[in-house]
Amino acid sequence: MYDLVIKNGMVIDGTGLPAYQADVAVQAGLIAKIGRIQESAAQLIDAQGKAVAPGFIDPHTHFDAQLLWDGAAKPALAHGITTIVPGNCSLSLAPLKEKHRMKLVGMFNQIEEMPYKAFAEGVEWNWETFDEYVERIKQGLAINVAPLVGHSLLRLWVMEDESMQRTATDLELEQMQTLLRQCLDAGAIGLSTSFVDMDETLQPVPSRYADMRELRALCSVLSEYGRILQIVPEFYDVDLNIARVDQLAELSLEYGIPTTFSPLFVNADNSDAVQRVMARVDEQFARGARVWPQVQTRPIDISFSFAVPSLLFIRLPSWYQIMRFGTHDDIMAAFADTARRPALVAEAASMEALWPQLVLRQVNSDANQSLVGKTLGEIAELRQTTPVEAMIELSLEEDLDAHFLAADMGHNDDPAVSALLDHPRVHVGASDGGAHILSFSTYGDTGYLLGHFVRDTQSLGLEAAVKKITADTAAIWGIEDRGQLQPGFVADISVFDPNTIDRGPEYYTQDVPGDGSRYVRDSIGVNTVIVGGAVAWSQQDGYTDSARGQVLPGSRT
Amino acid sequence: MSDKQSVVRRSTFPVDGDTWDSIAAREFPQEDPATMASQLQSWNMHVFMRPAAATGSPREGNPILPSDVIFLEPPLAG
Repeated sequence: MYDLVIKNGMVIDGTGLPAYQADVAVQAGLIAKIGRIQESAAQLIDAQGKAVAPGFIDPHTHFDAQLLWDGAAKPALAHGITTIVPGNCSLSLAPLKEKHRMKLVGMFNQIEEMPYKAFAEGVEWNWETFDEYVERIKQGLAINVAPLVGHSLLRLWVMEDESMQRTATDLELEQMQTLLRQCLDAGAIGLSTSFVDMDETLQPVPSRYADMRELRALCSVLSEYGRILQIVPEFYDVDLNIARVDQLAELSLEYGIPTTFSPLFVNADNSDAVQRVMARVDEQFARGARVWPQVQTRPIDISFSFAVPSLLFIRLPSWYQIMRFGTHDDIMAAFADTARRPALVAEAASMEALWPQLVLRQVNSDANQSLVGKTLGEIAELRQTTPVEAMIELSLEEDLDAHFLAADMGHNDDPAVSALLDHPRVHVGASDGGAHILSFSTYGDTGYLLGHFVRDTQSLGLEAAVKKITADTAAIWGIEDRGQLQPGFVADISVFDPNTIDRGPEYYTQDVPGDGSRYVRDSIGVNTVIVGGAVAWSQQDGYTDSARGQVLPGSRT
Repeated sequence: MSDKQSVVRRSTFPVDGDTWDSIAAREFPQEDPATMASQLQSWNMHVFMRPAAATGSPREGNPILPSDVIFLEPPLAG
């Protein structure tokens, strides 16, 4: 008798081979058999008309903090994601000395737009080492977690305040190497670093003060373990991006490690640049290097209110200064000050094409409800003013709780994006799951891949797309025994309807500690998600208390 | 495996304590240091336009970060 049998589904095994009709039996957390299964089972799932695929793997997330209050990384699990990689972009939550906690919270707030209150009310700070953090998140874990260790954290631990001032001494390099070994021994899947991010005071994060000598020292440790290096390159500049590809290739070849960079965006106006980056990636693979670009599936949409800083305004210094460093009252006063307003309006002119297109998506007052759904261009016309003035006035009227949507900001040229996603070197990722929670929903990218690019536009084959988010990701990241439906592999399984799978509409919900809210999307067409052989979520019953998630690759001790 | 690579914009990484002058002297030893430091700045606006390190910092007055890519030539013709 098996623990679980999934009957009558179309098996998409993750290898890219054609789907086939079969049953899947699960025993003791592993896939026991695929074929015609007559034996009985303690639990039966009818997958008639559904696809049965390996659980999806999301390699670029920032669920580090959320995992402390939500072991399912909701709603990622409900979208069919069974493994997440947090700790990207040089930022993890460990190793972290007590005295550096608020420094790290500031960096997470600035870079990943995680609210201070969520940390204050949702996080019990009861770890310092990576090992202690891993033990902490293991409690009640419903999704698999393959955590990166952040380079900025290693520097902060070893060099303290000077981690944001200078290069490391030989002794400090040795200490960072030892610390990295401890993290890898405790279960880190690799190291992340960043060449672009800034902290809450708009100073470069610690990883940006590391020279090549330091990167080599750390990659030599990754080499001992065969582990991956993730970076954030200067993705907005093609020459810089290519230079980073070359840098990663040298590190990959010298130390025999896989490397990955994210993000890589493509638009109609930069497709030549992206082609140049990809041509360089191909050349480096031809040399034997492993430099995997990560590409997100969804277009860029950004929502904001003036109640919290938004990266949308980072190129408008006066606006960003007010949002970043001003209190609620400061911002209200700045907007109400008619003497100050002309300077703000003048600065906003550099993005004048954007403002009329912004959509008012949410307000509190009854008086403005009729304007919800209209663009600022339309509202400006009604009010006989300009779109920027209308945005300021609405924000004042709503006590800063007017929410605006900038839709289709980029990465929205379907032919260019689908060609990139179809590239054999491209690795689907960069969802940023768990981050930017007040700017956009970072959930549902796999549904968008399978719904929009596979079913609706038929740009990718179903089996090929599933391979991209399962077996390919597992192979690139060195996640063993997962990512395929094969006897002996761990039973991480997503059952979905290829005819309906999608991401649901984005909505705002209050489920963040500290009475906080975030943008999320529910899944559509995902039927059942199995982690470690047990149902972790189903369309019918929602989340279960199976808690079969593991930390991957797991402790070496 | 192929070692054939297309030509891309030439660049380097700083070494400890590097300034525009020290990079110019190392990379262009035959040229006038002041001229080449100025050239480097114009080829690396992503660094040159960044606020310099604050007073009291070991890198006081220097905008170059140890992790920066420093281009050694202008953008290549398209």
